[in-house]
Amino acid sequence: MGATLVVAEIQKGAVREASFELAAFARKLGEPVMSLLIGSGISDLAAGFAGRGGGRTWFADDPALANYNVDGWTAAILAAVSASGAETVLLSNTPCGWDVAPRIAAALDAGFVSDVFDYRDGRYRRRVFNGKLDAEVSCSAERAVATVQPGAIAPFEGASEGAAEALPVELGALRARFVETREAEARGVDLTKADIIVSGGRGVGDPEKFGEVIEPLADALGGAMGASRPVVDAGWLPHEYQVGSSGQIVTPKLYIACGISGAIQHLVGMKGANYIIAINKDADAPIFEVAQLGVVGDLFEVVPALTEAVKAAKG
Amino acid sequence: MKILVCLKQVPHQDARLDIDGSGSWIEESGIKFEINSYDTFALEEALQIKDAGEAEVVVASIGPDRVSQALRTALGMGADRAVHVKDAETAGSDALGIAKLLAAIAAEEKPDLVLMGLMSDDGNASAVPPMLAQLMDAPHATAVMKVSANGESFQVERELEGGALEVVELPRPCLIAVQTGINQVRYASLKGIMAAKKKPLNVKSAADLGLAGQVGAAGAKVKLEKLSPPPRGEGAEILEGSTDQVVAGLVSKIRELGLL
Ligand SMILES: Cc1cc2nc3c(=O)[nH]c(=O)nc-3n(C[C@H](O)[C@H](O)[C@H](O)COP(=O)(O)OP(=O)(O)OC[C@H]3O[C@@H](n4cnc5c(N)ncnc54)[C@H](O)[C@@H]3O)c2cc1C
Ligand SMILES: Nc1ncnc2c1ncn2[C@@H]1O[C@H](COP(=O)(O)O)[C@@H](O)[C@H]1O
Repeated sequence: MGATLVVAEIQKGAVREASFELAAFARKLGEPVMSLLIGSGISDLAAGFAGRGGGRTWFADDPALANYNVDGWTAAILAAVSASGAETVLLSNTPCGWDVAPRIAAALDAGFVSDVFDYRDGRYRRRVFNGKLDAEVSCSAERAVATVQPGAIAPFEGASEGAAEALPVELGALRARFVETREAEARGVDLTKADIIVSGGRGVGDPEKFGEVIEPLADALGGAMGASRPVVDAGWLPHEYQVGSSGQIVTPKLYIACGISGAIQHLVGMKGANYIIAINKDADAPIFEVAQLGVVGDLFEVVPALTEAVKAAKG
Repeated sequence: MKILVCLKQVPHQDARLDIDGSGSWIEESGIKFEINSYDTFALEEALQIKDAGEAEVVVASIGPDRVSQALRTALGMGADRAVHVKDAETAGSDALGIAKLLAAIAAEEKPDLVLMGLMSDDGNASAVPPMLAQLMDAPHATAVMKVSANGESFQVERELEGGALEVVELPRPCLIAVQTGINQVRYASLKGIMAAKKKPLNVKSAADLGLAGQVGAAGAKVKLEKLSPPPRGEGAEILEGSTDQVVAGLVSKIRELGLL
């Protein structure tokens, strides 16, 4: 296999952890590993990354690239593919990575595989059906573009050989225009401080049931209520209750997931809990893989009974 | 303004997922299908733009016979016209194949805005929208949580991690892939469903779109070789017994954790 190009990302003035994971993933595909960094005033970051996993590293340095811009990134990555002759291009499955990677694949007429967590025996491994099934995917094109799930592999920690060099990029007129980034608003409900969280998912079925079934258990335990994304999407609860990659990342002593399947974006938000209990009617739900204790059953039977038992135990 | 909404019909979110004889897809017979959840939000966004002013909303989907049901639902919700690419030759297309077919439709329709979902609930690829934008030579944004028309452009808010947002301005024509929760999706009214019966639904083949022999399994560079249940690790200890018994087990664990 030919060279692999790692497209690293800069966040808050440093190379992102996920980019070191990419550097490690690239070595599963083989050597040589080369890299690209995109930004403004980044020659030092590029030199640092070259020695810490990036290998030979190009940097596209332009004030117009100070913030993510889909047109700018497309131009820079395509220029780096030409300069490096890479056969495989790797990006992280992050808001920048998933936004630009398929464009690169279309421009190169390459195969594209997203959100992979492993590469073995010539096949990419990924989850489909929102985490419920595993897929092995092959790519027969001369070139491949893949995005890698953040956190799927330990970051590269050794040293690598390679120098950083500036990559000339013809940016042309950028059609997409970055306006601003807005940080998350302060939340009325801060789940990050709760010791116990009782969360409900789509399986809870309707908004009233949160007040009737989920909240009483949270109250009985003296904990907080949380939710998965579809609950918030449907307007059953405000966004501040959402746990997951696009909600809050929580680390309570106890997390009780009711009617939540366990998609990766939810797991990212709660797998750091000290102890996880899952209640789900589907014995194959992926949530049972991260939970320590589980009940396969109807949450509408189990949760109210548990609430009564907790109240009784507290006297 | 013309808006093209691309939607995919996928297995119902609560459908049983049994792996079929080929080992590379699920058993489709006997399960229900629905419009991909992300795409219902894309359609709703288009209909809200239409409600706020003048717009024609065209929905397009690639897939077998059953997909006409999804398109009829979309027409019932308020879309004006539908295009169904129904052609056995397109079966087994990879994302780039689907994007090429949709690009051919976009070349015919010349929309000012293409609205799509961030990802499909079955393949979870998140691939087709940026590919289509590249093939259309148009700018795009994904994971969009807000769209505002702003003269000849659209201002959008993209969802980043942890609740942060990125505001981007896209000139027309452009493509926007929406995130779930961007709006509250309407239901098709009875009146809408009746009216939908008279709305045009055009059926096309790959050849009609100038792509004979270029899409489908033969043209696919990416192939799903094997599906399997995720490997089982340690897993949770599962409490068995009556409701009273499992509840007793849960309470004793919570007590053991020092939380009762
Ligand atoms: C970029 C991006 C960001 C995302 N961010 C987040 C995020 O921050 N947080 C998040 O949660 N998701 C997020 N998601 C969505 C995620 O992919 C899943 O769609 C979501 O987590 C599924 O929620 P769920 O488990 O509640 O629903 P489902 O997956 O539909 O699961 C419902 C579960 O309920 C069970 N059930 C049904 N009825 C009962 C009953 N009576 N008793 C017991 N069990 C029952 C079912 O067996 C099923 O397992 C994100 C997705 C993307 C693409
Ligand atoms: N067969 C299809 N027909 C029409 N649109 C599709 C099709 N497949 C995918 N799409 C669109 O592309 C989006 C992302 O799908 P995917 O790239 O498959 O995850 C979906 O939300 C749809 O808007």
